[in-house]
Formats: sequence, C-alpha cells, structure tokens
Amino acid sequence: MLSRLVLVSGGLVQASRSFHQSSQSLAPVPPLPEKGGKVRHGIFPEELFTLLYPKTGVTGPYMLGTGLLLYMLSKEIYVINHETFAAASIGAVVIYGIKKFGPSVAAFADKLNEDKVAKAQEVKDQAMASLAQGIEDEKKEQWRVEGRHMLFDAKRNNVAMLLETNYRERLHMVTNEVKKRLDYQVQLQNLHRRMEQEHLVNWVEQSVIKSITPQQEKESIAKCIADLKVLAKNTQARATV
Amino acid sequence: MMVSFFDQFASPSYLGIPLIAIAIALPWVLYPTPPARWINNRLITIQGWFINRFTNQLMLPLNVGGHKWALLLASLMIFLITINMLGLLPYTFTPTTQLSLNMGFAVPLWLATVIIGMRNQPTIALGHLLPEGTPIPLIPVLIIIETISLLIRPLALGVRLTANLTAGHLLIQLIATAVFVLLPMMPTVAILTAAVLFLLTLLEVAVAMIQAYVFVLLLSLYL
Repeated sequence: MLSRLVLVSGGLVQASRSFHQSSQSLAPVPPLPEKGGKVRHGIFPEELFTLLYPKTGVTGPYMLGTGLLLYMLSKEIYVINHETFAAASIGAVVIYGIKKFGPSVAAFADKLNEDKVAKAQEVKDQAMASLAQGIEDEKKEQWRVEGRHMLFDAKRNNVAMLLETNYRERLHMVTNEVKKRLDYQVQLQNLHRRMEQEHLVNWVEQSVIKSITPQQEKESIAKCIADLKVLAKNTQARATV
Repeated sequence: MMVSFFDQFASPSYLGIPLIAIAIALPWVLYPTPPARWINNRLITIQGWFINRFTNQLMLPLNVGGHKWALLLASLMIFLITINMLGLLPYTFTPTTQLSLNMGFAVPLWLATVIIGMRNQPTIALGHLLPEGTPIPLIPVLIIIETISLLIRPLALGVRLTANLTAGHLLIQLIATAVFVLLPMMPTVAILTAAVLFLLTLLEVAVAMIQAYVFVLLLSLYL
C-alpha cells in the first residue's frame, strides 16, 4: 500500500504548508516513486535488514525470525493444529499464484499505463507534426509570393491583349456599320439617278414615238428600203470584186 | 488456541466488543482510492481496469435503465469477493457465512427489483409469470409454479451463498484436521494434503460464487 503512504505524505505536505499563505493547488504533484519499496522474500522490507546489519551482520534478521518462531512454538504461544495445515495450503496456493502470474499481471498493468501515455504522446506528436507542416506550408507560400510579380505581369499582358483585341474588334465593327450606312446612301442615290434616267429616257421615247407622224413613218420606211437596196448593191459589188 | 469446528462461524467478539463491524469494514480498507493522478501505480491501474471490465460485462444484457444498478452491483461484487477471499486465510472470520448477512443482502435487493418492475410496467412484470407457448390446460398450474419460484428467489440467493461458504470452510477444517491427525502415519498425509490444496483452489471459486450471486440478481432485473 505504498501509494497510500505517498498519498498520506502528500497530504502531510499540504498540512505543513502554513495557513492560507499559498494557493490551494495540488500541482505540481510530487512524483510517485517508480518502484515499490524493496522487499525480501515478498514480505519483509529491506529496511529491516539494513537496520540490523551493523549489529548482527547478514544473518541477523534470519536468526531473529527463527528464534521468534521457535520461541512461539516451544512456549505454545502458537499451537500447531489443523489450521496450520490449512494456512500452509493457502500459503502454497497464494505463493504459487503470485510466482506464476505476478510478472505477467505487472506487465499488463504497465502496458495499460504505457498505452495511456502513448496515446497522449501520439496526440502531442500529431499536433507537433501538423504545426511543423503548417510552418513548411507557410514558407512555401512566402516563396510563392516572391514570384508573384511575374504572375501579375503575365496577367497584365493577357488583359492588355484582350483589351486590344476587343477594341480592334469593336473598331472593325464600327467601321463596317458606318460603311454599310454610307453604302446604303450611295446605293440610294444611284437608284435615284437611274430611275430619273430611265424615266427621262422613257419620256423622251414616248414623246418621240408620239411625235412620229404617219407621214414621217412612211418616208422613213421608204428611205430605209432605198438604203437597203444601195447597200445590197454595194455588197454584191464587193463580193464580185 | 484450540478451536472447535464451529468456532470459526461464531461472530467474533473481543472482551465483549463485537468485532463483526471490523470484519465487514475490512474490504473497504484494502482497496485504495485512486489518487487524482493520470497514471497510477500498478495496483490502482489493475483495480480500476478490473472494476471497469466487470461492470461492462455486467451491464451488457441490460438496457440503459438497468445501468442505474451498476454502482450497486459492482460494489456488491467487490465486497463479496473480498470477504470470501479473505475468509480463506487461517484464523479469519467470514461474515458471509452468517445467514443474517446474506439474507440481508438478498431480500431487499430482490424485493427492490420486484417492486420496481411492478411499479413501472406491471403488465410485463406479471406477464413474466407465464412463459410463452404453454398449452392452455397447464396455465393455472404454471402460474402458481412461477409465483412460487419468484417468491423463493431471495431465499435461494441468501441460502446458496451461506451454504456454499459454510460448507467450504467446514471441509477445509475437516480435511486439515484429518491431515493433522494422520501426520504420525505418513503416507496418507501426502494424499490428503493434495486434496486440501485442490479443495482450496476450488474454494477460490468463491469468486465464481459471487459471479453467480450477482448474475442471478441481474436476471431478476426486468427493468
């Protein structure tokens, strides 16, 4: 029950602190001793042997034990009866159990504690790893930031080109539109002139046709025939020549 | 210090002071309370792990309402185990060999389960008196039988524990006396010693006794 001893001593530490002069805090808790107190043969604390060593040497405590046992037996302070055998049996069972299962149980308890510590350690390690990763990422971002101006130049160029292209397109479009309108006007004027021309020609033709009297018509037809005859004669003459 | 066979079952008193209180309070002393530390020593770690594990197992068949009994049943189990194991040591007194103690555990707890069952869901509790699928002519007889079995439960619980422990202790005494008497005549002794040892390991089935006790208590939980 070493733990209770430590607990009691912890309580004593608290009690020895004077009244209300420091904050009521249990932390930092004094650490527990790593191992239990040393015992020999499982029951007798090592301190007994160390106590008796100066006076009686190594065999001192054993002599003491044997003497006590023999004294109690001979004076019949302790009587051997059936309970002794029962005690011997239960003692044998207990010792057998402890010897056989002791180390494994202790290892199991240690493993339980180890697992607890390992879990917390893992949390801590993971936190640290993620923070280190964060630092790495930050550095990378800073490096990226230095190259940012190149990115911006490229982007700026892009945008300028786009703007230029757009401007030219629109200019083109505007020119086309204007030309279309001007062409339209030109066509309109052409149409006007043509129509006027045609109209005039038609009118002139009409008036000429109207002004042709039948007399004139006969005269012109006779003249045409006479001309044709002359032409025919000329052609014939040329043909024979 | 001559002891007769039944002296071990007499309630101990010293100079007229009944020591039964100390005997009953002893298990409490043996289990240190876990200190406010995160990692404890081996004893506390194992103790905590064991109680945890046991309560887990105990609560498995129960629905959430039954988990109210967790503390009571776990502490009951630890108490009984400790008392029985301590009783295996020589010259000790085992309180659980007294019928009064065991009935004092059995009757109130059983009654509590019955009353809670009756109060919260009386139909289902009464329905447990008739197993499913019985042929119709058998129903009246079966109800009577189930009621009797229900009523006899606390008696069975208490007496089972008392009888087992008393019988075990008596046997140890008897066989140990036989060994003691036969010691002048050598060979038989060896065989009888072996028998005592074996009986002792069986008696560490006192632990199983407690399992049985608490488990049966559990089965009566129709919560």
